[in-house]
Amino acid sequence: MITSIAHATIYVLDQNEALDFYTNKLGFELGDDMSVEGGFRWLTVHAKSQKNFQLVLAEPKEGPMFSKESAEAIRSLIQQGAFGAGVFESEDCQKTYEQLAAKGVQFIQTPTQQLYGIEAMALDNSGNWFSLVQRKK
Amino acid sequence: MACPYKLERLNTGRDYIAENFQAPLSLSGIAQQSNMSPYHFLRVFKQTYGETPNEYLIRLRIAQAKRMLITENLSISEVCEQVGYLSLGSFSSLFSQQVGMSPSLYRRRLWSLSAEKYRFPSQAIPACYAYQFLGIRAN
Repeated sequence: MITSIAHATIYVLDQNEALDFYTNKLGFELGDDMSVEGGFRWLTVHAKSQKNFQLVLAEPKEGPMFSKESAEAIRSLIQQGAFGAGVFESEDCQKTYEQLAAKGVQFIQTPTQQLYGIEAMALDNSGNWFSLVQRKK
Repeated sequence: MACPYKLERLNTGRDYIAENFQAPLSLSGIAQQSNMSPYHFLRVFKQTYGETPNEYLIRLRIAQAKRMLITENLSISEVCEQVGYLSLGSFSSLFSQQVGMSPSLYRRRLWSLSAEKYRFPSQAIPACYAYQFLGIRAN
């Protein structure tokens, strides 16, 4: 029985810039930042209240899994907004939206009533879009 | 499986463990967070998540201890304290039981695999990532 999710990957264009965005703009905390053999940088962040779910910020680079062309194609797709980073939750979508917008986070949808709650949509600084949801109680 | 209302209360207790695993925790204290009796909380937790609250707590503590042993320059005693154990003997015994080697051996083995300073071995990250980004398979 699977009991929880520990890691999920978000492909980003630049790990330093992504780290700045996810920590200084979104308010996530740094999890791990380790240089691993082979030159891979293991970089994770997590929501302040959810330390056991780490988001891995990884750059698509030429390597064992990606050819040079594949890595470039993925980078291009990220920039085009083809990938979603997921859904982040907030107790107060409107308030969080205002706070993040003031910090320069680019929103593609302002807080909108949905069947499951209030939702806004934004882009990270790579081009991944994510939802900000206040769940209906 | 717990009903949605009960699951929400259960999650409160589980989150409480996740947020406070570095502190001494008791079953009654955790169950109180979920507004359940200790026995009821234990039974429903096990039914829902497939592990007891204590097993979950141990898993979090050992995972954190493994991370600290690799990434922090702390003594084993300091790691022991920082993951919520009061007795170094109990911690070492539990760690050995869960990981298959003592904390000091675990640290030595991983550090010795690192050829360069500040370059961690691939075993320091989940194997699926090591395979994906480094092409290294465990077996």
